[in-house]
This record gives sequence, structure tokens and C-alpha cells, in this order.
Amino acid sequence: MEIKILKIKRDQPERVEIRCHEVTEQVREIADFVRSRQGRLTGYMEGRQFEIPVMDIHYIEAVDNRVFLYSSGEVYETRQKLYELEEILREKYFLRISKSTLLNLMKVSALKPALNGRFQALLHSGEEVIISRKYVPELKKALKGGVS
Amino acid sequence: MNGKEFAIRLMTTYFTLVTLITAATLGMGQYFEPEASFGYEAFASPLIYGVCGTLPGIVMYSRKELSVKAFLIRKALQFVLIEITVLCAAFCDPNRELRTDILAGMGICVFVIFVLAHGIEWIEDCIAAKRLTEELLAFQRNIY
Repeated sequence: MEIKILKIKRDQPERVEIRCHEVTEQVREIADFVRSRQGRLTGYMEGRQFEIPVMDIHYIEAVDNRVFLYSSGEVYETRQKLYELEEILREKYFLRISKSTLLNLMKVSALKPALNGRFQALLHSGEEVIISRKYVPELKKALKGGVS
Repeated sequence: MNGKEFAIRLMTTYFTLVTLITAATLGMGQYFEPEASFGYEAFASPLIYGVCGTLPGIVMYSRKELSVKAFLIRKALQFVLIEITVLCAAFCDPNRELRTDILAGMGICVFVIFVLAHGIEWIEDCIAAKRLTEELLAFQRNIY
């Protein structure tokens, strides 16, 4: 696929256009990536596609090579990989809290101790997610100096 | 948990145990043998029992994070090993009379100290969680 980047004038709206013969999986992935950079993620539920604002997502979890987005009462599947989302969402206050979970720090109401040096994050939705001991220093660093 | 973090945790546990063992020795001694008197060597006793209570903690070491089930199994094993180590250390002297009341008292004391040591750890974790929550709320206020 040829990639063309054109510089335009300030008064013109920025846009990404994909010209393709067929909307393949690869094309969808590119579109998903662009949306995610704009503060929206593409999620799928019961065969339907949704665009979810990043700030509505409470946490993201990888289960058996599938990645799920958890918002208030809804669970969407995404095609993006957890490590990709971690990279994209870092500046949106998402933090890795275990091998399989990214947490939106803005959705946490309190932290509680859990067994074995771990912590439990209580979310505004009432859900609880475990913060692995390994990621606690990262959390402390993020809260002190902001997510980088 | 890496080796260094684990060693620091063991040392913290050791000093907590020494304090609790000193208090338990005072209570047990007053109850079972109030007339006994000792030399300076008696000060070594909590230090030695502290080692006996700390060393079985090695069973908790794991590079990977333990699951809740694995954690509880290892904790139970740690407790059994502490009981065995402490009681063996207490009654290893063949000249010492093996009194069942003292044996039972020590066994209960080990259990109480085990629970108290974990209670102290839990309180520390609660304080850390409270501090982190405050930092988190301040972080959120700064963003909004």
C-alpha cells in the first residue's frame, strides 16, 4: 500500500483517507489505530461496531489473546493488541497494572490492600481490579510525576 | 519480587518478630516459670527465635507473582515450618523437661505471633493504600 502524506493549510481540516480495493482486516486495523489516536477506540459487541470515547473506558483486559474494553456496564472486544493500546493511551492516563490489564486512573475511586503485597483498585463503577505488586512502583511514579 | 526486595521483607519481618517474641517470652515466663532468673545470655533468646520464625519465610519466595491459592498454601506451609522450627529449638536441650503445657503454650504463642505479624503487615499495607488513594485523588484533581 502506498503511503502519501500531504501538508495542507491551517484553515483546511485534517483528514486521513484510505483508498483501497476492499475493506480488509488490515484496513480496519489502520482505521482503528487512527480513531484511537483521536481519543476513540473501536469496539465490537454482538457483531456490531461501536466507537467508544477513551475517557468512558474503565479498564482494558487481555484474556486468551483477545482484548476487551470495559466501560460502564458494557464490554466490547477490540482488535488492537494490549501493548499497542498501552502505547497509545499512555497520555490518556491509562497505566499497565498487571500483565493483562490497563487501568484508566481517572476512573479509580480508591485503592485497598490485597494479599501478597498487591493492591485492589476500586472503580467508580463499583468493579474491582487487582494491581500486581510488580506494577505498584509504576503506579506510584505515575501519581507523583504524571503518566509518561 | 526480586531477591533484594525479598531479603528486605524478611529483615522487616525479623525485627517485628523479635519484638513480639520478647513480649511473648515475658508473658509465658510470668505464667509458667515466674521464679526463674537468667543471665545476659537470655537476651539472645528472642534473636534466635526471631531467626527460627523468619527462615521458613523462604518458602514464600517466588520470582513470579503467586496466585491466591498458591499464596495461601505456602503461608500454611510456612506456619507449619515455623511451629516445627521453634518447638525443636525450644526443646532441643535433652536436659530440658518436655512439659506438655509449655509445649502447647508455645504452640499457641507461635500462632498468635504469626497472626500479629501479619496483622502489622496488613496495617502497613492499609496505610500505604490510604496514602496512594490520597495521591490518586490529588492527581485526578490536577487533571480536571
